[in-house]
Amino acid sequence: MKRREFIKKVTAATLASAVSPYLLKGAPLPQSGGGPHIVFVAFAGGVRQQESVLQRYLTDSQGLVGSAYEGNIMYNMLNGGSPTDKIVYGIDPASGLAGSQPIPTILSQSLQSQGTLFKEVKAAGVGHYSGLVSLMTGSKFVNQGLRQRPAMPTIFEYARKFMNLKATETWFIGNGIGNSTPLLNHSNHPDFGVDFGANFLSPSVTFGAEGDEHIQYAKVYHPDEELGKIYEMQNFLNNAYNTESDDFGGIENTIEEKHDIKQFIRETFFKKNAGAIAHPPVSDNNDLQTVGYTCEVLKWFKPKITVVNMNAVDQGHDNFSSYLKNLHRADHAVGHLWNYIQTQIPEMAGNTYLIACPEHGRNLDPNSILDQNDWLAYDHSDLNSTRIFSLIAGPGVDANLSVGSESNPIGDISDCVLTMAEILGIKSQVQGEGLVSSDAVSFFDRI
Amino acid sequence: MKKIGFILLLVLTVLSGCKKDEPVKYGLKSTDILTPSVNKDKQKTPAQYIAVLYVNLFQQAISTADQVEIERLLRSIGDKRLAYELIISSYMNDPQVILPAYTDMRADLDQFIMDTYERFYVRPPTQLEQEYMKNYLENNIDITPELVYFAFAISDESFFY
Repeated sequence: MKRREFIKKVTAATLASAVSPYLLKGAPLPQSGGGPHIVFVAFAGGVRQQESVLQRYLTDSQGLVGSAYEGNIMYNMLNGGSPTDKIVYGIDPASGLAGSQPIPTILSQSLQSQGTLFKEVKAAGVGHYSGLVSLMTGSKFVNQGLRQRPAMPTIFEYARKFMNLKATETWFIGNGIGNSTPLLNHSNHPDFGVDFGANFLSPSVTFGAEGDEHIQYAKVYHPDEELGKIYEMQNFLNNAYNTESDDFGGIENTIEEKHDIKQFIRETFFKKNAGAIAHPPVSDNNDLQTVGYTCEVLKWFKPKITVVNMNAVDQGHDNFSSYLKNLHRADHAVGHLWNYIQTQIPEMAGNTYLIACPEHGRNLDPNSILDQNDWLAYDHSDLNSTRIFSLIAGPGVDANLSVGSESNPIGDISDCVLTMAEILGIKSQVQGEGLVSSDAVSFFDRI
Repeated sequence: MKKIGFILLLVLTVLSGCKKDEPVKYGLKSTDILTPSVNKDKQKTPAQYIAVLYVNLFQQAISTADQVEIERLLRSIGDKRLAYELIISSYMNDPQVILPAYTDMRADLDQFIMDTYERFYVRPPTQLEQEYMKNYLENNIDITPELVYFAFAISDESFFY
């Protein structure tokens, strides 16, 4: 597809969604149902090209030779047939070998066939946090370490500043609170920063044992009769104290947004207790449950930009069989996410773009750790770990297009931010700030 | 003899001339010229804040396990004020929470305000604060001790020491 044609289609989709009626739920806020929306999947803790895009399964990792050991274990995302022997990545059947029953596909057409796959993209580094920072900022300036926020603005900050978005229109859903994941919702850049940050939620904690114990039964006060009075008194007390602090309370939602989020949290606890969270059909790991809660966030807030981070694949450090299982489940999660958007959220169906990109790959050679199947594990520290892919689907995106190859890499991890910026119509403003990597371009510009 | 007389005269002069002046009193009370909160410039850590909050609301120390869980919970939500509000409002739903009775509060607003400032801010209210809060509570009879405590708990000064 020509660039001009793509832009025309994006504009048409935007206009169409703007004029379509959107549903109002009981909350006091007007819901922002207009497209385009972006769901970005940070996929999913260090994914080796060999087992993902190259579909080599056990051939390029455990030395097993033959077509039975090759194949696609990510069939919601990628085209290609599955392996036929030594299947360990599925669910446990009632009888038979553990993991020998692959999870049924969710999408009738893979995302690759619905969109564009950049088969060989270059990552900036081989660390999770630095990779995630590059995905979020489009910058490879990641000399800051863990426990520090990104130095350059995230896509959330660009979008909130240039599109005047509310905080509840941008969400980062973390797989947990470790590895500085909660710091990825905004940078500490002086021109952007906390005032333009996204809401962050880590469902495994917020709705986990900690949330059950400490906020499940939080009162939702009446917005006028109770909360209004509380905030009036608080304002007086704050004015009397009159302090300023840089990072006092994280990002700030308006009073109305806070009330909306409280209602969402209460409702989500109800759903959780009723077993009604929109989890994928199989939800036996943390990534799958995180995606289930992400679906709830999408359904409630219809955000402009949602980023969800998965990382269960990182078990590849010490258990290759678990790595395969979690890679298969990460694909299941993405398939579910896309299907849920298209079938359960009318305001986002047809105007949402899904982008999936690993933060880095994994090594060419294994370490010495054997798992229960006597298979070797893989860390992420060599050049092979800088090999990743990117998959984009959504209105106007070329269908069934593959770009680049092993011998012809096309694309860079820093392209993700400009791609999202292009979809949102703020690419030139983002480029104008001069804070993304100098070699970053929109993936659409690489077609 | 002349010499002794001179010395005696000198001693008498000194003794009679060195009387200490009585200080002049104008009936003014000494008072601080700065607000009592001016030296609170250190932000509490989440752990410190939660520990103090818990004591204020339950009049006992929080358990280590609860403290760790709450710190994790705070990290799981991007809007920290929102997270604190959720935690406080959850405490308010706890049957163990210790709040003054509505009637007691209304019976002596001055004392209630004084006690609340001492409880949350570890200082007495200024005259301005006392008057404002009293007027506000008198004009809003539906405000309960719970709402007042909530407002104090989420106010900026509660996060500093």
